[in-house]
Amino acid sequence: MKIGVFICHCGTNIAGTVNVPQVVEAARKMPMVAHAEDNRYTCSDPGQASIREAIQKHHLDKVVVASCSPRMHETTFRRTVAAAGLNPYLLEMANIREQCSWVHTDKEAATSKAIEIVRMAVAKVRRDEALFPKQVGITKRALVIGAGIAGMQTALDIGSAGYQVVLVEREPSIGGRMAQLDKTFPTLDCSACILTPKMVDVARQPNISLLTYSELESIEGFIGNFKARIRKKARYVDEIKCTGCGECARACPVAMSSEFELALGERKAAYVPFPQAVPNVYTIDKRGYPPCRATCPAGVNAQGYVALISQGKFKEALEVVRRTMPFAAVCGRICTHPCEGECERGKVDQPVAIRSLKRFLADYEFKVGREKPTPIATTKQANVAVIGSGPAGLACAYDLTKAGYPVTVFEAAPKAGGLLRYGIPEYRLPESTLDNEISYIEELGVQIRTNAPVKDLGDIFNQGYKAIFLATGAGLSRKMGIPNEDTDGVIHAIDFLRQVNAGVELHLGGRVVVVGGGNAAVDAARVAHRLGAKEVAIIYRRSRAEMPAVATEIDEAEREGVKIHILAAPVRILSKDGQLAGMECIQMELGEPDASGRRRPVPIKGSEFFMAVDNVIIAVGQAVDRTALPPWLECTSWGTLVVDPTTLQTSIDGVFAGGDVVSGPSDVIAAVAAGKEAAISIERYLEGMELTEGRAPQIKRVKEVPKEGVKTQKRKAMPLLDLEKRRSFDEVELGFDEKTAIEEATRCLNCGGCSECMECLKACEAKAINHDMQDEHIELDIGAIVMATGYHFPALNAYEVYGGGKYPDVISALQLERLLSSYGPSGGEVVRPSDGTHPKTVVFIACVGSRDEKTGNGYCSRVCCMYMAKHAIMLREHDPEVQSYIFYPTVRGPGGKMFEDFLVRAQEGAGAIYLRGEINEVYQEDKKIMVCGRDLEKDETVKIPADLVVLAVGMTPSIGTTDTARALNISYDDRHFILEAHPKLRPVETTTDGVFLAGTCLAPFDIPESVAQGGAAAAQIVTLFSHDTLSTEPMVAAVDSMKCVGCLLCADVCPFNAMESQVLRDGRTVAVVNESVCKGCGLCVSACRSQAVSLRGFSPEQVLSEVMALWQ
Amino acid sequence: MAVGYQPRIVGFLCNWCSYAGADLAGTSRISYPANIRVIRLPCSGRVDPMLIVKSFELGADGVLVSGCHPGECHYLEGNYHARRRFALLRSLLDYLGIEKERFQVEWVSASEGKRFSEVVSSFTGELARLGPRREA
Repeated sequence: MKIGVFICHCGTNIAGTVNVPQVVEAARKMPMVAHAEDNRYTCSDPGQASIREAIQKHHLDKVVVASCSPRMHETTFRRTVAAAGLNPYLLEMANIREQCSWVHTDKEAATSKAIEIVRMAVAKVRRDEALFPKQVGITKRALVIGAGIAGMQTALDIGSAGYQVVLVEREPSIGGRMAQLDKTFPTLDCSACILTPKMVDVARQPNISLLTYSELESIEGFIGNFKARIRKKARYVDEIKCTGCGECARACPVAMSSEFELALGERKAAYVPFPQAVPNVYTIDKRGYPPCRATCPAGVNAQGYVALISQGKFKEALEVVRRTMPFAAVCGRICTHPCEGECERGKVDQPVAIRSLKRFLADYEFKVGREKPTPIATTKQANVAVIGSGPAGLACAYDLTKAGYPVTVFEAAPKAGGLLRYGIPEYRLPESTLDNEISYIEELGVQIRTNAPVKDLGDIFNQGYKAIFLATGAGLSRKMGIPNEDTDGVIHAIDFLRQVNAGVELHLGGRVVVVGGGNAAVDAARVAHRLGAKEVAIIYRRSRAEMPAVATEIDEAEREGVKIHILAAPVRILSKDGQLAGMECIQMELGEPDASGRRRPVPIKGSEFFMAVDNVIIAVGQAVDRTALPPWLECTSWGTLVVDPTTLQTSIDGVFAGGDVVSGPSDVIAAVAAGKEAAISIERYLEGMELTEGRAPQIKRVKEVPKEGVKTQKRKAMPLLDLEKRRSFDEVELGFDEKTAIEEATRCLNCGGCSECMECLKACEAKAINHDMQDEHIELDIGAIVMATGYHFPALNAYEVYGGGKYPDVISALQLERLLSSYGPSGGEVVRPSDGTHPKTVVFIACVGSRDEKTGNGYCSRVCCMYMAKHAIMLREHDPEVQSYIFYPTVRGPGGKMFEDFLVRAQEGAGAIYLRGEINEVYQEDKKIMVCGRDLEKDETVKIPADLVVLAVGMTPSIGTTDTARALNISYDDRHFILEAHPKLRPVETTTDGVFLAGTCLAPFDIPESVAQGGAAAAQIVTLFSHDTLSTEPMVAAVDSMKCVGCLLCADVCPFNAMESQVLRDGRTVAVVNESVCKGCGLCVSACRSQAVSLRGFSPEQVLSEVMALWQ
Repeated sequence: MAVGYQPRIVGFLCNWCSYAGADLAGTSRISYPANIRVIRLPCSGRVDPMLIVKSFELGADGVLVSGCHPGECHYLEGNYHARRRFALLRSLLDYLGIEKERFQVEWVSASEGKRFSEVVSSFTGELARLGPRREA
């Protein structure tokens, strides 16, 4: 073996510190070295020629070049030795520059280190083997991530060269930051005018596949052979059918802050981000289910109808309610509104009055006159019987009728409605209102038979019904079980309320006491007040806060004069001659929690007291009337029916049950939910489908609801009947009028984004809207990738010291662009965000968050000096009276053409005053923003009362840059800008072959630089695609199957799944490397216990020889 | 500490991050002591514990392994394996009488030239303070 060693001077870079002749001498003495020489510049033409000559002359087999880092010139010298006929992998480099002469000052130490480095390289090269790259195919399709100006340019250039490009953009439109600019420096071209032709070219270029509203999910593979997975987010609009007419946006009732306008303007949930968008299709922004809709047990779309009310679309809003259930008037009056408890507006001030707004819709329809609905066509054969016409039964009948089934409701009582009619007092739910709502249900086609009790379910089946929903409720009063409970004068609340509602004449004495704390108790008390009782009291065994009744009902009861005695309970009824003489009670205290989690009331010994009463109304609970039910149904110990919790199926096939008869006494909306669930079960049952699958729909509830900029506004109070009039049964809650309803509905924060009100669906003539769209996952074969993900500006509240995020008239430069822009939120009028007036004094603050590691980023953002000059010029053009002040620590017209001239123009032409200085304080004083600082040239303090302050904020890489970088397996620096392969000579490549870069994801650049880089990346890719095959890296792993024991530990650790198992002919299982996939990391080598795996180029022998060379 | 004692450090650096960071220290002309001898490998996960043990066996005063920061490995997971392996190895070496401080694992990225020089400087200083290896 003959090794040649070539030591480089690199001018004085090496030779200035390392004694090169000494190293040459030492090299000559190293084992197997046949030739050693030095060169001034080995990488230059003569230097390389010298190596080639030496190889020929001295018949060298292997070469060591001691010079710069292999990361610099290993490729160069591999080519040199290949040109001389040697295998290029029989070369090693000794890094005696970057890691020796450039970092050590002691010449002696540097020289001995250099000698050792050479010795290591010689030892390694002795063990180098010739390696031969393989040829693989190249997929001639490029993937460009990011469709700002850089990404678009790249895509256009690659497409024009005849190769396919997939351009992925996560916003709904291409265009990037340039679309937000008004004019560009220094030519003052209109940004949109120079941008939109390029955008149209992108859309027209047949080789470009545009995937907007899409994001990269993952990449696998290697150069020429990548596999990309892209997620195309659902826009809920068909891109091909949409004509961009905008009717959906006009119909949409939901206004949201526009990201494009940087919170200075609004857009609808159905929107295009700006007028020149490409593709010119609408997108519907859905954030998830709003908390109100997600919480409603019946799934009523509260946001939907509230949003429509805010637009005055009352008829459409009522339609939204009726899509889910028919009880707008009923629930609008008596629902326990769990939705309001979750309402996000409640975190700002008070929840939206969702329940009362629903009531308003029903009342409005009643006021303007309701058209009779068209009866729903019966499209199915199977008859369904519903037993019980309470809310559960009617909700079930409603849904089944809408599905096309003939439904008959059997009601034992003389009138339909269940507890709605016979339990809820008239002043809460007037009978006429209930009648109207039930009529609506009947007009749709639901058959209700009253005075028709059902005892025998078999009878119903015999009549031809194919399925039954049992919803007979829990209408029996629970007894307290105290002595003399059935004395005359003692009545149970359910019976009491039923009789009152049925019109039975009842006579109450002067003093009435109601026992209990639930809604029935409060209802009974308030009814007793209206029947003429002079003193009405409620006695409840726990505390006031624990009373289950609706809070507003309890408050109103007290206002009507009902006294509430808490922590007390009756012990016995006292009777005299069969008549009620009074009630003995005892005080309670709260002890340990019971099974329901509430603290158990415990009687206090010796605290008994007497209550003089004329009537006692007992409201301690409801129970199911077991005797009214068919006998073979399985029941719980409480007497309620047992049903499958998912399907609501009872123990009898074809019989389903729900509502109070299953749950025990609960509220109306829970009964409605049960009825709806049963309707689903019954439909599946009748169609012979599986009942349990997919029953609990996966609801994605919206997570974050931004509340910036929301001004507090109190909830509209429900107007109430005057207290003096409360002896009648007139409705107490009077309802909102139209103006109040609209104002209240406007308080809604629209948490869900799109409210799924479906108005857009009605408005779209092209039938392009589909609310059930799902995200799509697209897999693509890709040969090369360009990352062009651009920049963004951080939120202004990071710069509170300058008033950012605090004062509305302190804005960012990009926000000023939007104000200047003719298609911006103010139509091109520069106005103060606070009051819409034109500013006369504008102060610019340069280097905000730039060039200062302490307050932000340590780098210069490159474009701000130029754009501030542009702004000064443009402001003067808009208004000749505007005076601009530009506070700067330093000003740069960074080397561009005509840049310095532009800065001069800003000062001389547009009168901008440049102040070199520092800002000390920025604060609001009346209508002005006071900017206080120090002018360093004149050395005096400055205080400028500004109308508008513009912050020149530094660029930072777009959100998600690091995620994309990791997916592409490329590096980024501590500021999250992507690292190029070499900052001088390889500005658009990365260290990962096949992945290129363009634009501001690299560093702050302006537009021509981004365009140039886009072209450069395209050129690299076109060069790559001009070949038919690619050489693979031969430094891959290799398994010695003689030593391999087949443990496959290497396969476990390999991050690329490059190790596969193979069964040899002798029956042994061994590991084998897939050389196309192996990336040469060597994890397998260090994992192998049998020393069976090696890495070509970094084998155990090679690396060990380097270590041992240090001690030779 | 013995006068004139110069610790000998063997450094195993990964090609993509720490070796590039060391090169950056060079291009930035940041000085550090000349006691380290660097061996370039594709990944810190390639560093076989055998190489470290051999280095100490031959007489190294300190061994440095450096790679990409966790989460940023060019080969995705190599440095995670390295980290785990070396945690165990360090305890074993300590048991064999090679103080824990003599074996360092530091993550240096390609843009951290200054940090690389600081790592080497402080490691060299630490080893100088520890003095030569104790005889077994």
